[in-house]
Amino acid sequence: MSTVRSLRVTRRRFLKQTGLSLAAASAPSLTGPFISKALADTKTLSIVQWSHFVPEYDKWFDQFAKDWGTKNNISVTVDHIPVGNVAARAAAEASGQSGHDIFGWNGAGGAHLYRKFLVDVTSLVEATEKKYGKVSTIGRQIGYNQDNQTWSAFPDFYINFPAMYRKSMWDEIGMKPDTWDDVRIGGAKLKAKGHPVGISLGHSNDPNTTWRGLLWSFGGALQDAEGKNVVLNSKETVEAVKFVTALYKEAMTSEVLSWDDSSNNRYLVSGIGSMIVNPISAYRTFQKANKKGADDTFVMAPPKGPVRQIMGGASEFYGIWKFAKNQEGAIEFLKYYADHWPEAFKASEGYNNPCFANLVPKPMPILSNDPTSTPSDKLAALQDSEQWSASPGYPGPSWPAVDEVYNNFIICDMMSKAATGQLSAEDSVKWAHQQSEAIFTKWHGKT
Amino acid sequence: MAVIAEPVAKPVSRFHFILDRRGVFEAILVAPAIIYVLLLVGLPLLLAVYYSLSAYTIYNPTWKFVGLANFEQILQDPTFFDTLRNTFVFTFGSQLLGLVLGKFGAFLLLRPFPGRKIVRALIILPFAVPVALATIAWQWMFDSLYSVINWTLIAAGILTREDAPNWLGNPYLAMLCIVVINAWRFFPFAIVIFLAGITAVPQDVIDAATVDGAGFWRRNYQIILPMILPIVAIGLIFGIVFTFTDLSIVFLLTMGGPGGATSVLGFAGFQTGIVSGDVAHGAAISLFMLPVLLVVVIFMLRFIRRREI
Repeated sequence: MSTVRSLRVTRRRFLKQTGLSLAAASAPSLTGPFISKALADTKTLSIVQWSHFVPEYDKWFDQFAKDWGTKNNISVTVDHIPVGNVAARAAAEASGQSGHDIFGWNGAGGAHLYRKFLVDVTSLVEATEKKYGKVSTIGRQIGYNQDNQTWSAFPDFYINFPAMYRKSMWDEIGMKPDTWDDVRIGGAKLKAKGHPVGISLGHSNDPNTTWRGLLWSFGGALQDAEGKNVVLNSKETVEAVKFVTALYKEAMTSEVLSWDDSSNNRYLVSGIGSMIVNPISAYRTFQKANKKGADDTFVMAPPKGPVRQIMGGASEFYGIWKFAKNQEGAIEFLKYYADHWPEAFKASEGYNNPCFANLVPKPMPILSNDPTSTPSDKLAALQDSEQWSASPGYPGPSWPAVDEVYNNFIICDMMSKAATGQLSAEDSVKWAHQQSEAIFTKWHGKT
Repeated sequence: MAVIAEPVAKPVSRFHFILDRRGVFEAILVAPAIIYVLLLVGLPLLLAVYYSLSAYTIYNPTWKFVGLANFEQILQDPTFFDTLRNTFVFTFGSQLLGLVLGKFGAFLLLRPFPGRKIVRALIILPFAVPVALATIAWQWMFDSLYSVINWTLIAAGILTREDAPNWLGNPYLAMLCIVVINAWRFFPFAIVIFLAGITAVPQDVIDAATVDGAGFWRRNYQIILPMILPIVAIGLIFGIVFTFTDLSIVFLLTMGGPGGATSVLGFAGFQTGIVSGDVAHGAAISLFMLPVLLVVVIFMLRFIRRREI
């Protein structure tokens, strides 16, 4: 009975309880000014970068950044965007003068194009060099401005492009794709057996990177070492284009003309392809899909050309916007990140390659001994990839004109126009030279 | 004697000076729409025009006036004319195909059959599905290795694997693919337009024609189609404007490849202006669309005015 009475809603009780509820509900707004001041005192750091091809890396990075924030009383947020959206996102943030504190670029462009919007990180790079050794050639091409010896971006890592081949298939013809000539001759034999070589001639990042590598290995290049002149129209380039024409006709199928960046991965996994040139994500995909096929797939340095052994690489780097709200925090985070780089390397399953000489001492974990691979030293050749990796501007710096040639797929189209018989090798080179020179002339007047 | 109450004077609205003046009231009602168009369409357009006449890049955001230099440089590039041609083929090819499909779709949906309501709802799907998802699905269908189209043709014994078409690797087929995908996206809209038009045609006109001996084709092409042409033309204007400026299908499916065969103005403008950071040239490429679209729209609106019944 007493219980019933205590639960009975009287007018006095109703007013009292409603009043208390209202007071509780309005408390945040009453205390708002004090709380918002407290929130304003809590620093924040925001980072945006691509959605990594190794999803486990993203999980590691997000937790790593969050833990750093907890230690330093900084609220850290990490956003991941598709790789194809990075350029548009950067343009939007720079135009709006607002966005993330740290911007992670992927591939061509970025540091040089946005130079005027980015904090000079020379002291950060120099301090990291003192600790972890010199920046590699590809690392230097990423964010170094050779005109005034400053750094616009902090080199994070590069993605190398080794060759991957089906050992049993190549053993059957008694060859190994050590040189580009071997690839063509062996590829022709394997194509006859139903196992062509697969290197994309489409419009995407992989062919942009791969065919530049082949061009350099034949002694050709888009620009000179100073980045002043287009030097594409050369005997060496014509030879390279003639070679690609032969390679396409003899060792590949027309499928490669339509490939995107994931097509060669699928080609390898399908069991049809005898060789591809791609980051090891293709091999990792194969491991997950078919362990036996992956065991038969071997990873090696890219084939040697008549002049040198070299391949394109995709650069990843961090820039700090001048309009970033927490520039100090951004620099502190990157310092801390560099000190824990071997963890990042492991989390990426050996996909992220260090830009500083001693950042990951050799023998490198995973690459020297990968427990998931048979044999376990299958990825060992990747430890020296800084010796055969370069950015799109090689042998010169990366700068906006080089990026535009890259974004317009001019080198890929130079190869594909000749390969498909649309133009002769000489005319194709002339076409690409004219296209590139128009872009260079335009940018020379603007930089 | 009955007392009639004095009528109570209605209080005058505080805004009577607006409400009583028809012209002012109309202007106030239309103003938000005009402001919206000026801010969100007019201003960006003026900005784009100014960008195209400047040396503005992301690297060096300067408003230095350069006149028509950007346009001159673009016109000197032979690749640009290929892009312009591709844009016309893509736009008019997909609109034509979409209209034909839309017309037949509308005829089918006009006839009663079991499950018509479900089919009507489903047919809107291509219009409702996000372009990214739809294009990826199409990409798989045209995949060089796993194309379901090729698989079916090979399984049916019509083709061998060696003869199977390389949908996105052949310049002509790649163009056909983007045309087909865009027509697929557009045709539900065309169906809706045709359905709205056909159902608005008075039944007695159709009945009279039938009594006079007009068959199916004559009724449709000499009576119904001329009557619904104005509404079809409005739909076509939308279709042409949206397709001419579209870059999504090309960006997602071919990136302008193979060898630039599917590069269209929207894509080229985006690659140059945003990805490569040459905003001035990107704006100039995009503005090439403006006169074309203006001519198309003026022509069609004049046509509609003449045809109005």
